[in-house]
Amino acid sequence: MIRIENVSKTFYLPKGQRFDAVRGVSLSITGGEIFGLAGKSGAGKSTLLRLFNLLERPDAGTVTIDGRELTSLSKAALRAARQNIGMIFQQFNLLQNTTVSDNVAFPLRIHGQRRAEIAERVAACLELVGLQDKSGSYPAQLSGGQKQRVAIARALASRPAVLLCDEPTSALDSETTRSLLQTLQDINARLGVTIVIVSHELDVLAEICSRAAIIEDGAIAETIDLRAQQALPRTALGRELAALAAGRAIATAATRQNTAEAEHA
Amino acid sequence: MLEKFLALAPELWTALGQTLAMLGIGLSAAVLVGGPLGVLLFLAAPGQSLQNKPAAALLGWLVNTVRSFPFIILLVALVPLTRVIAGTSIGPLAAAVPLSFAAIPYFARLVEQSLREVPRGVIEAAHAMGASELQVILRVLLVEARSSIVLALTVLSISFLSYSAVAGVVGGGGIGDLAIRYGYYRFETDVMIATVAILVLIVQAIQFTGGRVARRLDKR
Repeated sequence: MIRIENVSKTFYLPKGQRFDAVRGVSLSITGGEIFGLAGKSGAGKSTLLRLFNLLERPDAGTVTIDGRELTSLSKAALRAARQNIGMIFQQFNLLQNTTVSDNVAFPLRIHGQRRAEIAERVAACLELVGLQDKSGSYPAQLSGGQKQRVAIARALASRPAVLLCDEPTSALDSETTRSLLQTLQDINARLGVTIVIVSHELDVLAEICSRAAIIEDGAIAETIDLRAQQALPRTALGRELAALAAGRAIATAATRQNTAEAEHA
Repeated sequence: MLEKFLALAPELWTALGQTLAMLGIGLSAAVLVGGPLGVLLFLAAPGQSLQNKPAAALLGWLVNTVRSFPFIILLVALVPLTRVIAGTSIGPLAAAVPLSFAAIPYFARLVEQSLREVPRGVIEAAHAMGASELQVILRVLLVEARSSIVLALTVLSISFLSYSAVAGVVGGGGIGDLAIRYGYYRFETDVMIATVAILVLIVQAIQFTGGRVARRLDKR
């Protein structure tokens, strides 16, 4: 589904120093997976994510999504291809001066869809995130969690195969975070959308990811499988993440057993 | 006093019409030419999507140069050009030419400033959804900055109301010119007070309307 090959990105700071944000990263993500990018702040995980839809153009390497090599596309073709890649952000980035439904309609309008289809699709997407009654509200009238749900509805409006999430829960409290992650999992399960999620919160990644890459100094230190038992991860961050995921698995199993016993009794 | 005022009424009306004509033309030019110029100034700046150093430098230099002319000098300096555009160098239509010239770069800067307040992330999100540059301008920048742009236009209208008084120098006419001719040159203090009172009312009306519209448009 997503294949990143040998991508690099260097920034030149105003004073002329160079900063290698991403160095020669290769990565392959399967369709339908929820994949995490973990790392300390400044490790390059957000820049790496932004290379996926070419918000940052890599200096070298190729990005292929759903069989299309984005790095070789013309500007117009890239704009069309971006309909297939939704994205949500830490700060939501909604249009403040338009209503919730106009925000969700945005990606459809810019690609010239018919009005009736847009209305139908907007309603369906708002229902998917449970905000059908907020369609006429403005973002300023919503809570943080609701804003992020609007952003998810907007990102899904053009029926993308991939959803990129850049620190989607970092501006939310823990309660809201949990329900938002539930929504993301739900979308992944129901629509089969491949999700790539960047977060500095390891418990967020442990909660929903099947695999995660640990990013250190702009490169992938290791990739770990969070669903299957495996050898102890090499990095400290990886061990912490694996422990969190394992702990969560045990907790879930315990809850299930308790529920089963309760039902027996 | 009342008698004198009534005798002056026709002239006041004409003057009011002339002022509105000058403002109307100057502000239209500002919006139609200065608006797009302001968008270009914003987009060409470093870090923006059409980032272009030479273009940004050239546009910035052009805008600064026109803005550094004292208005009365610009008025005189543009006389030959005014003759070509308006067919005459006297009267409110002629005065509208230098007014437009001064209003365009002024509004361009104000628009640029307004657009800078739009959060970068919102523009980025539009790009991520596949929006073209033009769509970003029309559907993101202008929508998000609209109340700030209305306020900019309000500021512009009020400063150009007083610029239009200077236009009396080239026989531009208008309320300000009336105040200068009757009130100042002829020492008719009551006329001066009456005209200034009218100007005060116009300024209040513009500010009130601009503020209201801006508040209406602002959903942030």
